[in-house]
Amino acid sequence: MTPYLELRNVSVSFNGFKALNEFNMSVSKGELRCLIGPNGAGKTTALDIICGKVKPSAGSVVFDGTALEGLEEHRIARAGVGRKFQVPSVFRDLTVAENLEVARAHRPGVWANLRWDARRSGRKDIERLAQLISLTEHLDRPAAYLSHGQTQWLEIGMLVAQDAELILMDEPTAGMTAQETRKTAELFARLKGKHTLLVVEHDMGFVKAIGDVISVMHLGQLLAEGTAAEVEEHPEVRRAYLGSGGITNA
Amino acid sequence: MPSKMSSQTGLSRLGAQLAPILIVCAIVFALPLVLNNDFLLNKVARYLVLGILTVSLALSWGFGGILNLGQAMSFGIGSYAMAMALKLKTVPVHTGPGGLPDFMVWNNVARLPWFWEPFKSLGFALAAGIILPALVAAALGWFIFRSRVTGVYVSIMTLATMVVLNLVIIDQQSYTGGFNGITDLAQLEVFGIVFDTYSRATFYLVASCVTLSLLVAFAFTRTKAGLVVQAIRDHESRVRYFGYDVAAYQIFVFALSAAIAGLAGMLYTIVMEFASPTFLGVQLSLSVVVWCAVGGRQSLVGAFLGAVLVAGMQGALSESAAFLETWTLIMGALFVLVVLFLPKGLAGLAHDIWLWIAQRPHAVQDTALGVGQTREGST
Amino acid sequence: MDQFIEQIVTGLSIGSILLLVAMGLSIIYGSMGIINLAHGEFVMLGAYTAWLFQSHFGLGLLASLVPIFIVVAAIGWIIERFVLSLLNNRPLDTILATWGVGIMLQQGVRLMVGSELRYVQLPQSLSDSMDVFGLSVSSYRVFLFTVTIALFAVTWILMNHTTVGMKLRAIMQDRSVAASFGINAKRVYGLTFAYGAGLAGLAGALVSPLKSVSPDMGTGYVIDAFMVVVLGGVQSLAGTVASAFILGELSGAIAFLQNDTVAKALVLLAIVVLIRFRPEGLFTTRVRA
Repeated sequence: MTPYLELRNVSVSFNGFKALNEFNMSVSKGELRCLIGPNGAGKTTALDIICGKVKPSAGSVVFDGTALEGLEEHRIARAGVGRKFQVPSVFRDLTVAENLEVARAHRPGVWANLRWDARRSGRKDIERLAQLISLTEHLDRPAAYLSHGQTQWLEIGMLVAQDAELILMDEPTAGMTAQETRKTAELFARLKGKHTLLVVEHDMGFVKAIGDVISVMHLGQLLAEGTAAEVEEHPEVRRAYLGSGGITNA
Repeated sequence: MPSKMSSQTGLSRLGAQLAPILIVCAIVFALPLVLNNDFLLNKVARYLVLGILTVSLALSWGFGGILNLGQAMSFGIGSYAMAMALKLKTVPVHTGPGGLPDFMVWNNVARLPWFWEPFKSLGFALAAGIILPALVAAALGWFIFRSRVTGVYVSIMTLATMVVLNLVIIDQQSYTGGFNGITDLAQLEVFGIVFDTYSRATFYLVASCVTLSLLVAFAFTRTKAGLVVQAIRDHESRVRYFGYDVAAYQIFVFALSAAIAGLAGMLYTIVMEFASPTFLGVQLSLSVVVWCAVGGRQSLVGAFLGAVLVAGMQGALSESAAFLETWTLIMGALFVLVVLFLPKGLAGLAHDIWLWIAQRPHAVQDTALGVGQTREGST
Repeated sequence: MDQFIEQIVTGLSIGSILLLVAMGLSIIYGSMGIINLAHGEFVMLGAYTAWLFQSHFGLGLLASLVPIFIVVAAIGWIIERFVLSLLNNRPLDTILATWGVGIMLQQGVRLMVGSELRYVQLPQSLSDSMDVFGLSVSSYRVFLFTVTIALFAVTWILMNHTTVGMKLRAIMQDRSVAASFGINAKRVYGLTFAYGAGLAGLAGALVSPLKSVSPDMGTGYVIDAFMVVVLGGVQSLAGTVASAFILGELSGAIAFLQNDTVAKALVLLAIVVLIRFRPEGLFTTRVRA
């Protein structure tokens, strides 16, 4: 089966520092793939390459038959890729509802969005989304007033609103409480299948709970790949990242 | 349980934003009933036009995040379009043989230059006054935004471009009237109405355009495109990852802003009875920025009133040099204070005070709700 | 051949004035990221201070140069301390705030001294002309050129061979890292801005005998100075020198071929195009993102 998302021999350097070194990874449709590894392994850079924030110096990125490398960010997004950033990036001056509205970008062209009815139609969906992310009371408040955890949730909600086929998540549970993390795991479980998720994470409990397949990165390359159990036993992984205590001790 | 105070319904928020605009427009239309002095009304009309210009900057800057230091360029293009049309309509007293404007005759120009020809048609001129600035802005915008120039450099480029056009107009005096501008114009006559600069017709024309510009700008901010533009102002790069072509939106708001400024320019020529390179000048362009900042750049009405009141003050004080200089000094200080402490201008300050007053009775109720929410959240 | 030499000399003269005015701006922009639209007013203040010293204290231009530097530098320090230090990381707002301060300075001068043109005398010792490559050039212009180069050398040494300069360069690289090494960024910024302002004041004093002194004389200079800095590249002192003389020669040449207005327009246009394709200027090396 041809992979849904395939990174082949992707390399990129920043002023001499090789962030990705012939990195290979394949993800199947509907999967929930977790990407783990020590700091500096290139996990965020891998996501940056896919969504177009960084252009690779070599290698290819193919998503659902479309070559993504070299395309502009918005074209990649229109091809069905959504990205949640490590530092929550929402529109602080806009209200929560407006943030979600912007994220609903199924018709991204300027002229289409000048139509008077382009806004009214989505209010019901937005209210439902707001319930999903527990931000109903804050719908008409500026996003700047949200707490860190709430902002994370808003951005996740925006990703859901964007309804991208491939959703890239960069440390989605950073700064969340245990309960919020659990809720995030439930949401991801619901999203996978219809969407394909690629999640960069450090929280191993979370990874173990949600991940089908785990890819481990180290020094810009793929170190190991497999289920949580397989990865835990892998000698290289233990040496580089997890230690002898296994995934839960990382 | 949804909090009563935090979410107003969509319609009531629309009303809350539309109301100030309608009130201001009503007041403007009612002015001739109160001020029965043609000379004074003419002066007020001048400030109203500058208000429209400032609204156009608020659209680009406050809503789009694009600080156009050369906003006067679009204003100037509109004013020259009108001036050229009106110059060509003057009776042969001001026009040389063959229909040449007087200054061309004095400069020994043999034939009317090609770019003057279309302005013989008033219809063309009226359209050009709005469309030409928009086209120029779109071209400049394409040049600037497609290459992802941002922030300060955008402002520098817009200012430099305006200065270039200003210099070209001054230099090519045989074709443009140069330093002195285009003077001795005929009066605008449309559908039998003569728009003499001191007539009520002109004032109502200006008032109508005030209403039109405010409503068009407001309507834009209420569309989804307007929302995307504000998101771009907030976090330009993030918007791309949702699929929006950021440059296209920036070019659009830039051009729309220019079109409104062009309309203001045309009105200014009618009210002032001439067009001059100072209309594309650094002094005016930076003054617009000051009015916009002080009035409140994220508020269309705020920006409008900021311009009318400050420019009006300046005009009222222009009789006495000492007063004028002191006023300018105070304005400078006020501007610095606004930049330092009040990014949303006086309109923003008024809004915050309003919110603070409106929310005080709910303070107790809110605390109770706060507790309730925490309990709910922990199940 | 003669005409060619004359062109070069004129260009050098224009360039040295541009450099004089742009040097302070370049330091301020390069090190603090502040776009100082009041720079023209610092030039104007230097010119007025020169006039003041001359008319009220009978002090000649040459003798008053050092006091002028101190006076304008002090004003600059006050502005940095009470206005600009409140605007961290808001580059667009520094443009606006300094524009406002510029208005205040201009109006202040108008109200206190009046708007009539004032005149500063050429120093007696320099009021004749000299022979340069077979051409007769005003001694004062040669003096200007020399002083400009000297000031540049002083600035260069200050930046690269003193402790203060090193601290400034550290802050330019990374403010928070510098702070963690005990460098007081606030104090360094204050001194830097003051120095830049002082340089502008000197520029104003030195050009004052060439033209009349008026409250609005600064505006023209600030736009020119900006173009020099943008072209030369932020954070590059050497770049500023190169671009000042390039622009000086360019303006001179175009003005000779066409006229002053066209020269200015073309130079501005070139800069607009340059920013679009190479916003870091002609002479900066690419810094790692």
